[in-house]
Amino acid sequence: MTALLSRVAADLYWAARYLERAEDTARIVREHTNLIIDLPRRSPLTWEPLLALTGSRAAFDARYERADEESIIRYLLTDPEHPGSLASSVIAAREDLRTTRQVLPRLVWEAVNDLYLFVRSHGADGVERRSRSRFLEQVIRECHLVRGVLVTSMSHDEAYEMLSLGANLERADMTTRILDTRAVALLSPGTIELDTYRNVQWTGVLRSLSALQMFHRAMHRPVDGPSVVRFLLTDRHFPRSVAHCLRRIDEGLARLPRNAEVRTVVDGVLESIVDRDAGDLEAEGLRTRLDEIQLGLAALHDRIGGVYFTGTPDA
Amino acid sequence: MPLDLSTSARWDELLDERGEPRPIAKVLLHHLEELGAAELQERQDLAELDILALGITFTVYSDGRGIDRAWPLCVVPRVIAASEWRRVSAGLTQRLEALNRFIDDLYGDQEIVRDGVFPAELLEGSANFRPECVGARPARGVWAHICGSDLVRHHGRFMVLEDNLRVPSGVSYMLENRVISKRTFADLFEEQSILPVDDYPSQLHALLSSLAPASPEPPTVAVLTPGVYNSAYFEHSFLAQAMGVELVEGRDLFVDADDLLHMRTIEGPKRVDVLYRRIDDLFLDPEVFRPDSAIGVPGLMRAWRAGTVAIANAPGAGVADDKLVYAWVPDIVRYYLGEEPLLENVPTFRCHLEDERSYVLDHLAELVVKPANESGGSGVLIGDRATREELRAAAEAIRANPRNWVAQPILDLSTVPTLCDGRLEPRHVDLRPFTLQGATSWVTPGGLTRVALRQGSLVVNSSQGGGSKDTWIVEDETVDAEDGTGPG
Repeated sequence: MTALLSRVAADLYWAARYLERAEDTARIVREHTNLIIDLPRRSPLTWEPLLALTGSRAAFDARYERADEESIIRYLLTDPEHPGSLASSVIAAREDLRTTRQVLPRLVWEAVNDLYLFVRSHGADGVERRSRSRFLEQVIRECHLVRGVLVTSMSHDEAYEMLSLGANLERADMTTRILDTRAVALLSPGTIELDTYRNVQWTGVLRSLSALQMFHRAMHRPVDGPSVVRFLLTDRHFPRSVAHCLRRIDEGLARLPRNAEVRTVVDGVLESIVDRDAGDLEAEGLRTRLDEIQLGLAALHDRIGGVYFTGTPDA
Repeated sequence: MPLDLSTSARWDELLDERGEPRPIAKVLLHHLEELGAAELQERQDLAELDILALGITFTVYSDGRGIDRAWPLCVVPRVIAASEWRRVSAGLTQRLEALNRFIDDLYGDQEIVRDGVFPAELLEGSANFRPECVGARPARGVWAHICGSDLVRHHGRFMVLEDNLRVPSGVSYMLENRVISKRTFADLFEEQSILPVDDYPSQLHALLSSLAPASPEPPTVAVLTPGVYNSAYFEHSFLAQAMGVELVEGRDLFVDADDLLHMRTIEGPKRVDVLYRRIDDLFLDPEVFRPDSAIGVPGLMRAWRAGTVAIANAPGAGVADDKLVYAWVPDIVRYYLGEEPLLENVPTFRCHLEDERSYVLDHLAELVVKPANESGGSGVLIGDRATREELRAAAEAIRANPRNWVAQPILDLSTVPTLCDGRLEPRHVDLRPFTLQGATSWVTPGGLTRVALRQGSLVVNSSQGGGSKDTWIVEDETVDAEDGTGPG
């Protein structure tokens, strides 16, 4: 068994990030669409928070005249010029995996290729509201299929750990982004005119991470803001909670060579999540804390690249 | 199934002159008849879906961008009798052994030149002779470990059209075609003995491992690709995967001050013992060849000459696949092996020899004229399709620089029934088998059959509308089991 090439490691890591991003985007758009359908027309919830979520408002405004449903959904799902769109993510993942096919089980490439063909031929269905859910659910299913093949047919070797690092880092990143754009707004007094719908929206936050059922099982209580935030940040068992993702990253790193420095960074981010009082669960406190976590995740991303993707000898 | 042979009076691989199945193709043709046109077309459609789903692609270039196209395969196979194939296979082995002796001699003492068998001036004019390789001693004197020959069947006889000794491609498509073909005609594989082709990656792996200079066990073998935008990238990746070795690009590698080749890994630098390179000589090492090569590895030639890494095919091996050398191959076989060639060359006229030149000039309209040092189809004149003006220009060019030109008769390629718009029609084919040489030799049972899909066309290149077929070597006699040793 030869050591994993640095370039291949980088491509696997990025492919996993892109696939995760595609799946997360599909889930978020699906839940946001459901939420808007559920809420009354005069509800202040618009499509625009979706843009904030993917951090791409300025780029959107430069290309579209109006921030209406069709433009925003097109931008997020099918726009080939938008590197963060679902279609672009799938293309990028496929391109990265093309260069790593020799370390992947053939079935993985076939599953990703299927996903790519599906998105290419059915992307327009995602923009139409009436076919949107079906399209997005199929995307999510195909992403699950890819992951299922990876888990069950790929040796859990260094290449696998690289995929796993990428997926978990992207997942942690997405959860913090959702908290940043939705939770902070929901926690701020007065920003929502219709308090009645606050909890519906908190439920929506959970749903956009497929977290509702697991939230109930873990928390044994109705949905409320602080519990949702605590669950999504610190729950040890839910696979999309930030703490869980970081622990998985740490376990993966433990199986990789030259891991000391990177694991120190993981420890640092974990501390900023867990070691806080509940008092922080106010809008401002949460925002500061999320900023800190985001910076920590960015630092972690940089260190993984520095250690594993350059192929230089130990310093 | 109706088969229209009226458009062709040529030699067909499956049908004889009366349109009756050849003995070796009886089982297949009977089966096709039973299936009927609609069912056959359905299987073809399913095969195309499989190819799409499996992501079997090749890259074509247009507007400077590479586009992935689904690999074109006609499910109706080409069938060759195993008894005939054994003779072809022996001929290919013999030919590659002689070519390797020739290459080793050219970069060594040049006895063949001193003995007056091969003219010195041809060597001087060769675009693929690399002075940088003179004096190098690859293991066992083998330079070309992997050869992809182009065979044609002219009036029923197999002939070698080209020896590709640099970076021949196509073998992955041969393997993929078999995967699809087995799905399409599963029952036929049970009914008769069709020689398996899927041993190729292990044969190749054994060959490459056997080249490792110092022998760490197991040696680290890597496939060197120009990258994902190369038209043969699918194959590079396929072979690396099938052998379980690393697929590397130039940027993954470096040569250290001790002339050792390393790849960059997540554990740090890691020594490479054998490089199966799929990039041309001139791009291998910017320190020695083209300084602008971004896909090569600075210092690679130093490492190779120091003997710390084996390279397959060895740099400089291409000297023996130039069109002028080709004309000498029968002499080369006789000179080194003291045997008659088992496989024919296509008759080739060498314009720098006066009598051959005057024949060519007198018969231009019946010949194909080719520049000796160009690869691919550029500069080729097909006599019976050329205008009077073109013929005059060609004659002038030959007189001006005879050494640059060779000529061959216009070939009458054999045909195989091929699915065209729901009907079976004869289409011209060639065949690319792959020969491996290490400590021993091995030839793929069959190879990649390429087919010109347009009626009457002889152009089989997939980039120009050519397709492919699976090649079945079918056992037609009881023979002793061949011994299973491969090169290595």
